[in-house]
Amino acid sequence: MSAPPVIEVHDLVREFNGRRVLNGISFQVEQGDVMIIMGGSGCGKSTLLRHIIGSIQPTSGSVKLFGREITNMTPAERSDVRGRFGMLFQSGALLQSLTVGENVALPLIDRGIDPEIADIVLKMKLELVGLTGFEHLKPAQISGGMKKRVGLARALALDPELLFSDEPTAGLDPIMTAVVDKLTLDLTRKLGMTAVVVTHDMTSAFRIGTKMIMLGTGAHQGKIIARGTPDEIRQCGIPEVMQFINGEPDGPTPMKMSKEDYLQSLLEG
Amino acid sequence: MGDYLRLNAEILYWTFIAPFKKRGFSGAAVFRQMIVIGVQAIPMAALTSLSIGLTLAMQGAHELARMGATAYVPDLISISLLRELGPLLVGIVVIGRSGSAVTAELGTMKVSEEIEALEVMDINPVRFLVVPRVIAMMIMLPVLTVFGDYIGMFGGWTFCVTALELDTGAYILRMVNAATGEDFVSGIGKSVVFAWLIVTIACHSGLGVEGGAEGVGRATTDSVVLSIAAMLVANAILTGVLFLTA
Repeated sequence: MSAPPVIEVHDLVREFNGRRVLNGISFQVEQGDVMIIMGGSGCGKSTLLRHIIGSIQPTSGSVKLFGREITNMTPAERSDVRGRFGMLFQSGALLQSLTVGENVALPLIDRGIDPEIADIVLKMKLELVGLTGFEHLKPAQISGGMKKRVGLARALALDPELLFSDEPTAGLDPIMTAVVDKLTLDLTRKLGMTAVVVTHDMTSAFRIGTKMIMLGTGAHQGKIIARGTPDEIRQCGIPEVMQFINGEPDGPTPMKMSKEDYLQSLLEG
Repeated sequence: MGDYLRLNAEILYWTFIAPFKKRGFSGAAVFRQMIVIGVQAIPMAALTSLSIGLTLAMQGAHELARMGATAYVPDLISISLLRELGPLLVGIVVIGRSGSAVTAELGTMKVSEEIEALEVMDINPVRFLVVPRVIAMMIMLPVLTVFGDYIGMFGGWTFCVTALELDTGAYILRMVNAATGEDFVSGIGKSVVFAWLIVTIACHSGLGVEGGAEGVGRATTDSVVLSIAAMLVANAILTGVLFLTA
């Protein structure tokens, strides 16, 4: 019997004040996959991620992590599952009162790992993200891109089986983006880690992704409009997807009103 | 209100039960908070208490002089400070200085996803952030109150020995004779209750912040106003209970 998928999302629905932000999302992520979640701003990517990590409860539907339903777990079960994944937040979400080093070592120290061992792990993780020597600085003293890399080091501190990244390369320079992408590739291809990456960065998405889903906006709000391997997505021919991956201003997903609508809205006041 | 009571129950759980079962709170964090909440409030608490001790002496002397009873000024100072003004004034200083800071800090952490990051790392925010602040406040507010009582008495003394020409020995003797152990204990008892109210309201307001920097500002104001109101109401109730049972 093969291992169950690492993540199994089935018919996930979430409403905020009557508005359906997620509308029947279903997908699976197998071990070693790098799943890319993409879509325009406000399509519900980050909300979907928060459902998968169990921060938000869905209106209906199910989310299984490592074969176990996360939506109705006891605190002890949730604690066990949370020890197996790491999460990189969009802003880095570092604790401002702690230094870079204390932030990365926090998950280790809190689990009772010997401070000397934690110190060695901390140095290894900072080296992975190219920040050796920065452990004594406070988050307020480093740049946004560096904060994100510290957040990544912290997410990797406990050697998770599964890594969630919310916009891991936004705000990084092209070289650092390549470093972070290579790190994700090494961890997944060589060590069998699974990754779920929410991103707008198409270069990075096609470089690291093994599976992709795209969430729709407008009439398709909260639905998956395309899914497949990077090659399948490139050749899917769906106009919304092509507009998104090629970054074109005009297409089926209008960012601006048509001339007639604009005129009418001005006249109606 | 339901949220507030749940937070209280969680604080009790993580303070008294969890340390014996699994991961407890960090002693170093408690110590750090004791410095932030207590030690750094000393100058402000001292200035306020000194002023009020001095004012009490002047007002008391003014009224009691008409009855030729200025010798009772030390009695007035010690009893009012120990029973009422010491705990209340130090409470107000700590609300303005430390309660608001706790709300603003936790609120900022909430809006910048730090609290969520802790939860995802399986670090309970109540254990990690709230409990050290609660314990620090429960220790430091009564300590600051005792300190404030002494400084207030010192303030009264400066006026009594200069303007009323009272002897230092007489001042101390009158104070010791006038105040009973119960006066002191009732004041400290009040400060313990105030400490719980101040820190739980501050933490609850901070963790409940929504809506960015504006939300943090609103929560901080709410926290200060609510803490002062809760403290004054609790003071009236406690004074009533002590009055009836005395």
